[in-house]
Amino acid sequence: MVIEDTLFVLWLMLAGPLWAAVGLFVLPFVNHGRSEKDQLPTTSLKVGGVIGGFALGPVGVGLFYFEPTLIRRTTLTLGVVLTVFVSAQVLARVVEPDFPSVLWLLLAGPLWAALAGYFIPRHYRELEADDQDVLTTAALGGFAIGPLIFGLMWKTTPKVNRDWIITLGALGAWQIYALFAIQNPTNPCVALPFSATYLTQQTANGIVIGCIYSLMAVGLTLIYSVQGVVSFAHGQLYMVGGYFSFYFLLHAGNVLSNLTNTEVTVNPIWGIPVAAIIVFLMGAVFERIFLKPMHEGLIERVSEYAILITFGFGFFLEYTTLAIAGPFPQKTSRFIEIRRFTLDRAFIGDEFFFGPIHIIGDRAFAMVIGILLIFALLYFLQRTWTGRALRATSQDRQAAAVTGINPTNMNTLSFALGSMLAAMSGAALIPIFNWVPWVGAEMVGRSYVIVVLGGLGSVPGALAGGIIVGIVEALGAGCHPDPSRGAAYKEAFALVIFALVLLLKPTGLFGREPN
Amino acid sequence: MKRITFFMSIAALLAMITLLPFSAVQADGHCEFAEDSIKIGGLVPLSAPGAVFGGVAMSWTANRAADDINADCGVEIDGVNYQVEIVIGDSEGSPERGQAVVERFILEDEVHAVTGVYHSAVGLATMGMLDENGIPTVFSEPWNDNVSANGIMEYDGRPPRNADGVDYVFRVSPASSMVGGVVVDWLIDLGVGNVVIIAENTDYGQPAAADESARFEAAGATVTQINVELGTEDFVPILSRVQASAETPDVIRILVTGETSFNLTQQMAELGIAPTEDTICVTNQFAFQSEQYWENVPDGNYCAFNRVGIIPSLFSDTAVELNAAYFEEFEDIVPSFAMATYDAVWILADAIERAGTYSDGEAIVAAIETTDLDLSQGRYYFEFGNHNPDLPEGTPAFMWHQWPDPVVTMMQYFEQGQSSLEAAVIFPEVYQTHGTGYIVPGTSP
Repeated sequence: MVIEDTLFVLWLMLAGPLWAAVGLFVLPFVNHGRSEKDQLPTTSLKVGGVIGGFALGPVGVGLFYFEPTLIRRTTLTLGVVLTVFVSAQVLARVVEPDFPSVLWLLLAGPLWAALAGYFIPRHYRELEADDQDVLTTAALGGFAIGPLIFGLMWKTTPKVNRDWIITLGALGAWQIYALFAIQNPTNPCVALPFSATYLTQQTANGIVIGCIYSLMAVGLTLIYSVQGVVSFAHGQLYMVGGYFSFYFLLHAGNVLSNLTNTEVTVNPIWGIPVAAIIVFLMGAVFERIFLKPMHEGLIERVSEYAILITFGFGFFLEYTTLAIAGPFPQKTSRFIEIRRFTLDRAFIGDEFFFGPIHIIGDRAFAMVIGILLIFALLYFLQRTWTGRALRATSQDRQAAAVTGINPTNMNTLSFALGSMLAAMSGAALIPIFNWVPWVGAEMVGRSYVIVVLGGLGSVPGALAGGIIVGIVEALGAGCHPDPSRGAAYKEAFALVIFALVLLLKPTGLFGREPN
Repeated sequence: MKRITFFMSIAALLAMITLLPFSAVQADGHCEFAEDSIKIGGLVPLSAPGAVFGGVAMSWTANRAADDINADCGVEIDGVNYQVEIVIGDSEGSPERGQAVVERFILEDEVHAVTGVYHSAVGLATMGMLDENGIPTVFSEPWNDNVSANGIMEYDGRPPRNADGVDYVFRVSPASSMVGGVVVDWLIDLGVGNVVIIAENTDYGQPAAADESARFEAAGATVTQINVELGTEDFVPILSRVQASAETPDVIRILVTGETSFNLTQQMAELGIAPTEDTICVTNQFAFQSEQYWENVPDGNYCAFNRVGIIPSLFSDTAVELNAAYFEEFEDIVPSFAMATYDAVWILADAIERAGTYSDGEAIVAAIETTDLDLSQGRYYFEFGNHNPDLPEGTPAFMWHQWPDPVVTMMQYFEQGQSSLEAAVIFPEVYQTHGTGYIVPGTSP
């Protein structure tokens, strides 16, 4: 074995077999001090320890030790991902290209998904069995195992849960990847040894941009969850956030330069709180003047009014900005002077290698900002009185009012907070993308997809939705057999997932069932 | 309070009544104008998804040309001076919207001629309407070859515009093939063999990419084409794919316009794909707007770009004057499409004056065909038209009603933050300013 670079050594130190062994011995200690009925199966703990240590090193071992409830799903997911990748690689090398697609279409695939999705939930309802998640499970099952799903679900009508969905979904994903690998063995997402690096690179691209998407979507979902209003001005609030940051940095830089007689560039991170404060106030004022009457019964057609007034507000912001700032693209200086982070290529033997992986420095920084802000928001919503009041209002306005919460103030706060998050997202992205008055249009379209995908009103859903959209777009653009079309259809890949989720789980991944 | 407002209104009304006759017939002290004015429609993109800053620049130079013409007592027809009035319409870069604006120009504004048009798709969608309604038109920026070729050749099921003996459409911007030829010749001279073309999915990007691909392939190079949507912000997944290619490309050619090209070029540089020692970066002509380029593409040093229009060191007096005024307004160098729009208004005004009519489109077209004017971009004339209808064999059809002399050069920045006036002209050899055909990243000429 020849180790030519640091990456492999790094992995051995941070994860790999050593940590798998540590996990194997350490995890069973989880049961110490637990009563007999609370103890977890030792085998599960050992398997979890091995997989967690091998894949994630001390992070995996620590995570499973302190949160043993995560073991089952995490190991299942890690195991499925590895199995999909390895077995598809094997299949691609032993199976003829044309045969399996036909076979798969006959034995499983979309037709069986439609049949199972249509008949099985009806059968459950006829028998008055619990049909929660049955549609999703049946459709995924039909897709993955064809008529066998009828055998599994028809006779005994078992109660399905998320494990069913994960397993069948993973099996379906495995089949798609395997078929793809067989049909297109030279694709960069399939051809070894390169595909391991390439898939990691594209997934990393997707996660980085996905976290940034999430930040904007979180604001939208917050407004919807409390007010029941979809803000059509969200993209423009994101845009003005960027501009407020830009002009603040410009003027602050000019003032400091005059004081010091040297050119001073202010780091764009200072623009984020400035944009946040201004847009928070703007959102609050707008809500008080234009949305409050809606909640006070002064407006006859509430839904139409909400759409039109926020749409109009967005229009006003966009064209006012165009008049003031002009159409020329703007950009601030960088957050950090590191152009990109690169994990160098590591060789294992003469042929197998992993890396290099590149992440653009400013994007990584913006991702960290996005994650921190989302966690700060979650903390605010979960741990503070005001946050809990917001959640209470979103769940039941009248009950919240009875307990002393002022729903009118909560409405204002939610709109101001949501607007502020959009603005912070804009201020975090102006060092990355060129800023023009219509920059919000593309982003807001994606945000609607994310919030519906994650579940309208769910903050964790928006985070998950953003990351899913990011990864799907990156893998879609990166793996499409025709590179030219892959790039052009980038946004469409996320819409396909969006349509599927709406079809199978209309409440979104984390959405609440309607009362 | 009410009384004061009332008296102020009366005073304003009296002032208007007093000044009205002067404004109708007299623009300034030395020229007397007719009540009617000559209306020229300026079809430019002023909203997304069009290239808005292109539209703003074009609109500004069109109005500037009208001001200059009017300061020179406008257009004289039969001893009467007419003011030139520019009626701006926002195409939004969309063919449907462009058609709606042209309809408004014809039916409501009753324009006598049209200029502008940034996007090829808009040019292709509106040229038939303009021709059918007999509106003399000088397009100043669409590059698609068929914009002029459709004068004598069928395009997309549409018969040649000149089938009835008059073609109302002219063009003073280059055809895609005229630009592509220079870029490809330069790169083939440099010996590139593996080319990646990233092209926008529009009526400009796709034909331009097809034309350049054909030229590269004819020269023995291999071409990979990647299409992207205009307005895309995040190109990293696409660029990662380029980065993952088994063979490092010799050149990445960007056929994407507007701020989208800035995003693409910057992300390409951030990922370390191009410009590098191995890979040449050829970006869009917008790079010539150095202020904007460096603000948005701070890592784009050593990128080459095609420049349409005369190089700054060869600017005529008219161009110097226009550039100075433009710089005062926008703090940047006047782009070629804005210069072309300025010149197009002058060409139309000159033709109307020579034709002796602003309402007889056919006479104006005949006058445009015989244009011979020195303006900001050089000497304007149209080699082929009904005055000289036979194109010699081997002459492409797009030369019909086409200004044949737009200068196309390749330029390259070699210092970060450099003004485009200081950038090196690297091709054709006759215009080279630094004695080299390419500056390798990390070196100085």
